[in-house]
Amino acid sequence: MIVVTLRSPHGVRETLAVNCIPVIPSLLDGYKPIPGTYDEMVDVEGKPRAHARTAADLLRNLTGDEFARCQSLAELALAQQGVTFSVYSDQRGSEKVMPVCLVPRVISAAEWVQTEKGLVQRLRALQMFLDDVYGEQRSVREGIIPANLIEQSRQYIPKLRGLRPAGGIRIHIAGVDLIRDPAGTLRVLEDNLRTPSGVSYVLENRTVTKRVFQHAMNQSGVRRVDEYPTQLAETLRSVSPRDPETATPVVLTPGPFNSAYFEHSFLARSMGLELVEATDLFVDGNVVFVRTTEGPRRVDVIYRRTDDAYLDPEFFRPDSLLGVRGLMRAYAAGQVALVNAPGNGVADDKATYAYVPDLIRFFLSEEPILQQVRTYVCARKDDCQYVIEHLGELVVKAVDEAGGYGMLMGPQSTAAEREEFRGRILADPRRYIAQPRIELSTSPTWIADKRCLEPRRVDLRPFILSRPSGIWVLPGGLTRVALREGSYVVNSSQGGGSKDTWVEATR
Amino acid sequence: MISRVADHSFWVGRYLDRAESTARLLQVTRSLAFDAELTSLECWRPLVTVSGQFPDFSERFGADAVGDGETVQRYMTWSPENPVSIRSSVRSARETARSIREVLSRDIWQATNELFLWFMGEEASARYMQDRDDVFRQVRASTQLCLGLVRSTMLHDAPMDFLWLGVLLERVGQTARILDMHHHMLSGADAHHQILQTALWLSLLRACSGFEAFMRRNHGRVSRGAVVSFLISEVAFPRSLLYCTRSALGVMRRIWPGAASDGALDAIERMAALDAWIVKETNEPAPDDIHPLLTHVVDQVSLVCQAVQHGITGPTAPLEVNTSAQQQ
Repeated sequence: MIVVTLRSPHGVRETLAVNCIPVIPSLLDGYKPIPGTYDEMVDVEGKPRAHARTAADLLRNLTGDEFARCQSLAELALAQQGVTFSVYSDQRGSEKVMPVCLVPRVISAAEWVQTEKGLVQRLRALQMFLDDVYGEQRSVREGIIPANLIEQSRQYIPKLRGLRPAGGIRIHIAGVDLIRDPAGTLRVLEDNLRTPSGVSYVLENRTVTKRVFQHAMNQSGVRRVDEYPTQLAETLRSVSPRDPETATPVVLTPGPFNSAYFEHSFLARSMGLELVEATDLFVDGNVVFVRTTEGPRRVDVIYRRTDDAYLDPEFFRPDSLLGVRGLMRAYAAGQVALVNAPGNGVADDKATYAYVPDLIRFFLSEEPILQQVRTYVCARKDDCQYVIEHLGELVVKAVDEAGGYGMLMGPQSTAAEREEFRGRILADPRRYIAQPRIELSTSPTWIADKRCLEPRRVDLRPFILSRPSGIWVLPGGLTRVALREGSYVVNSSQGGGSKDTWVEATR
Repeated sequence: MISRVADHSFWVGRYLDRAESTARLLQVTRSLAFDAELTSLECWRPLVTVSGQFPDFSERFGADAVGDGETVQRYMTWSPENPVSIRSSVRSARETARSIREVLSRDIWQATNELFLWFMGEEASARYMQDRDDVFRQVRASTQLCLGLVRSTMLHDAPMDFLWLGVLLERVGQTARILDMHHHMLSGADAHHQILQTALWLSLLRACSGFEAFMRRNHGRVSRGAVVSFLISEVAFPRSLLYCTRSALGVMRRIWPGAASDGALDAIERMAALDAWIVKETNEPAPDDIHPLLTHVVDQVSLVCQAVQHGITGPTAPLEVNTSAQQQ
């Protein structure tokens, strides 16, 4: 028997007892994976995969009505806690609760070991690549990556060449998006090395699932995720220019109207650090201070959740009022650590992505552990020609856009859209890459209006923390799900939701 | 503590207490409108006047509408244009709390957010039509829950001190205004009508949540002088002017113990002066003196608030842009 207790607004506590004795018809009955697509929970015959058995049993033992109750109580809890994101296209104030599907996505212990190794390898290489780009540029001289690809990247900051950041780390926090192809292979889809977001949903989703499915979680031995804030705080302190024990790290947010404000506040709160806005900081003699009621206090590490361009008007945009004047001077003087380092965008550029396997071989003399997706870089003449001729089969992406914007989904596009992209690509080929559309794997997902489970496509964003002493990977990460039927776009700004990700504990 | 966060903490306290106070006033005035033999105008007009919104109200609805209980209640409860309506206070409390969530406990945030979601939702508007007192009661219960959680779940250090300072300064102003409002009613009512007078004094005590406390102090003897002194200078009653000024002074001295900024020194000096003035000048005031006396208190408190905000920016250069959460 599972007992769920959640508070309804201004009402009494609602207690819901979920009967675990098998009831017919159960939720997984009638669940059919999409042909030609890998399903995370069941095999082609609809039988639960070995590592997902506990989760599947949990669903078998629930009826649609019971699940609907759990789901709506979970949504209520998230709304009451204000677990929200704001939508880019809205001016201000429109907060939405991140849609969550209570059916977990399960990853086997063996697969996770391998994935973790691959992520660590990738991050080591990307870190070395960034050191190289802002240093000797050996990888360019030796022809591993074309010089113009770096020089023309909008995210490359030539002024930073020769500058070693405090602590020596550049990619303190990374989010690497993985997808699974129909053969069941996980592949890297893109790297996020600037200010990857979403980790707060991982933690909040777990809190909710724990309340609702406590019983099943105990049985299946799921690896915990709640040490992330401690690990993050440790990472921030580890790069402090002054004694890490007494260092003052802060979290810098653009403010409550930013789409990820909830997360900024969440992380500051769970690490016990101050959440500051740019106007709270000022620079005096290359040292950064925060304005406090007791006077200025020195700041050593800034976990900034603002874009590079809004860090320092003096350095980036003389016309802008946003940012902290002099911050980059302090950074260059080694008096403050910026997390992540400015200029990382050159390494998560979607065109650079195509070269990452070669970079891994070049810097580490190792074969890449994680597979990628075949990528056509329009900056290369032959690739560009191929893309133009096959627009209807490919997914075209602008190299410097995120959030599912600036994309053409070839197979689902209209002739007019393809024509528009043809023009755009020819006008500025460097800005575009294309990839074959991968049939993303699916996971059983609760469809509220049909009161049943249907397959919906998912991806996975693991979070990786790097500090001088080594690399730590959060078990699992954020599983995002495209809630709309037939959709491949998992971004929360475009109708995506999330799921709790269970990594099976090693026995 | 970060100056902006201190400022926002201060305003969370003010908005929460203001929402509670407005709900309580509406509740009490409704009860008065049912029971006492006052005209509708005598009941509702003072409520709008003491909120400082009479000019705005009469511009929107005409000066005569101030006798229309429904219009006044709707204006004071729901109007987004009225900066002191319950809706505005609840919304501002929640928005401001959201911007400093990292210093509030999860419990406080959740209680504030739940109040906001409930009040803005259909349930509260439907309830308003069916059982209005319940809506006001619920607003009060929720805001009091928030304020109770502040004291029982937050670290008792700078952020809580600033938040509580906001509560105390808001309260001085509110008590002074409520007292002034009843004073207006009494001067409008038949002064010889003993039953009515007593009813008004009792409603005043209820409006300040001070009915039981007053009775315990005065053993059931209700008189104008006793009620007025109780609300002004009873140091043990947590909504009296003196209790609030004295506590606010204590909090300010804890926040700024040593050589503080000019703003902080100015705020502390003003607060100390007001506290001394209340002790000296307000002993059993004559009826005609009450209104000027309360006006003085309200004016001084607003000067203290300005000085506090100046003090919050600290001994450094003032903030480059005005990030104050203040909306009125």
